[in-house]
Amino acid sequence: MKRFNLELAVGLFIIAGIVCLGYLSVRLGKMEILGERGYEVYAFFSNTGGLKAGAPVEIAGVDVGRVKNINLENYQARVALNLPSNLKIQEDAIVSIRTRGLVGEKYIEITPGGSENVVRPGQRIRETQGSVDLEELISKFVFGKI
Amino acid sequence: MRFHSTVRGFSIFLLVLGISALVWAAEPTDRIKQTTDKILSIVANPQLKDPSKAPERRRLIRSAVDERFDWEEMARRSLAQFWAKRTPEEKKEFIELYSDLLERTYMSKVEDYSGENVLYERETIDGDYAVVKVKFVTGKNKDIPVDYRLRKKGENWLVYDVSIEGVSLVNNYRRQFGSIITQSSYENLVKKLKEKAEEK
Repeated sequence: MKRFNLELAVGLFIIAGIVCLGYLSVRLGKMEILGERGYEVYAFFSNTGGLKAGAPVEIAGVDVGRVKNINLENYQARVALNLPSNLKIQEDAIVSIRTRGLVGEKYIEITPGGSENVVRPGQRIRETQGSVDLEELISKFVFGKI
Repeated sequence: MRFHSTVRGFSIFLLVLGISALVWAAEPTDRIKQTTDKILSIVANPQLKDPSKAPERRRLIRSAVDERFDWEEMARRSLAQFWAKRTPEEKKEFIELYSDLLERTYMSKVEDYSGENVLYERETIDGDYAVVKVKFVTGKNKDIPVDYRLRKKGENWLVYDVSIEGVSLVNNYRRQFGSIITQSSYENLVKKLKEKAEEK
């Protein structure tokens, strides 16, 4: 009887451990299991500069969402963004791909617009600014002086 | 019988009118080309090269740009969420200050452009919006890629944003104006713009 209790306790402990591990991997991997929260919009870019799915979406430096996926469509990058449902994006908002520091990671920044029309789920944000290639700009500046 | 032919004649006239309107409306690139050619001809005009003619030349360039640029739309987009809070008088004043700011910033660059070559690369139309990609080839054989973003207004296409080297002008000013207004006030922004206008 005593031996049975011990085995039960160990079993429960192991199961609790596995549940914790599962929770941790979902949280750390930023996976969505219980369906998507928020809504999705998309934007087209001529150059993403190596933006990755899962990159943060920021407004005024505040993390508000994630890049859901990036596809090639008509030789342009179609970037889908996942945003919280209480966040309204105006039709004339500008989505730009920016780099943290000189060589840091790429992320998306939205500069809110002033239009009364709001981008609805599944719609496209028209105004975009692709990744600016700093190396190219610097080389233009350096070699332009000949 | 005569009535019928009149009606037919009139409807053909309407049809032709409609088609020509369609053809006109469908060409944002042509609109950009018209304005660019106009400005380049002013810049290249030997009669206006004399330094004493500089104000006259600037005035001509400005009026050519005014025809193609929707200053109100650009000012509205640059002020973004702060635009709605402005009174009509403030809006009017701001449009004026904003277009003068752009004139001061870019006029010298336009005047110095020797106009080696302008390439009209691509045009994408999506409903009432269009993007025209242009490449200005300068004397040193450097290319400056410029994207004009246009919006259809009536039968005309007007520019509401310009991207130079991939950097949007409206986005740049939206960031700057936004940070000035949140750090101080709209009045301070107007003061700054006025001070800049008087510097020259």
